[in-house]
Amino acid sequence: MSISNIDGILQNFVSGTADVQGAALVSPDGLPLASTLPGTMDEERTSAMCAAMLSLGERIGKELSRGNVDRILVEGENGYGILMGCGDDAVLLVLASKSAKQGLLMLEIKRAVSEIKVALS
Amino acid sequence: MSNPLTSRPTLGQFSSIVCFKAVITGMEEALGEKATSIALIAAGRQRGKNLAKELGLSGASQDLDLIADKLNEAIGANGTHLAAIEKIVAQGDVIKVYCSETICSAGEPQGSDRKCTFTLGAVWGALSEITGKKLRGTHTESVLRGGTNDVFEYTTLT
Repeated sequence: MSISNIDGILQNFVSGTADVQGAALVSPDGLPLASTLPGTMDEERTSAMCAAMLSLGERIGKELSRGNVDRILVEGENGYGILMGCGDDAVLLVLASKSAKQGLLMLEIKRAVSEIKVALS
Repeated sequence: MSNPLTSRPTLGQFSSIVCFKAVITGMEEALGEKATSIALIAAGRQRGKNLAKELGLSGASQDLDLIADKLNEAIGANGTHLAAIEKIVAQGDVIKVYCSETICSAGEPQGSDRKCTFTLGAVWGALSEITGKKLRGTHTESVLRGGTNDVFEYTTLT
């Protein structure tokens, strides 16, 4: 796995997508692989939170008969935090502002996930 | 943090493995094994990093024998009793840490599929802080599954 390739993909995604404020790719065990997060955020803590959150979401999906989890969306007064699995090897976190159009954002995230999956394979 | 010896004058700073394991199994029951594992590994990494800083070892050494001695002193029989670090060796790009009497494997039946989480993370965090490298760790051999030691392997992320 080349982290520098993934760094490039994340940077392009964040700089080239409207309303996206940051992104991070973390391993399923909560290790930061690459990130372009705002400087105030702790990379390691964020990564552990994301992996645990996705895992917890998957458990909720299973225990409460909601099926496989496609994504986890946190909607706050200042914007969105979106978690999406990138295959078995990584989890993508995307931070977006409140003004983001959800449909467009999801489309761009899916594109980025496809690109990341290729880089990880 | 207040001094545990003054805040617990009778009971002192140690608690039972039984209670520690109950915390783990209780978390697994509520959150699932994977989320619990992630949380405990992250907690361990934080603990290891802070420990290495407290010991003044940040970026201090690449001498694995010295690191093993220092860590064993801190978390082994003379330290917090988390685990005994027997040796640390480098095999190519992989750093292998041989532990015994890990708290994670204590009290588990032979053949149990339990893996070390907090201990794996604690050594991981300490090694990252000491070597200045971004590492990825896994628990590869277990005393619960025929191994002579609990062995953790750490590879550098490039």
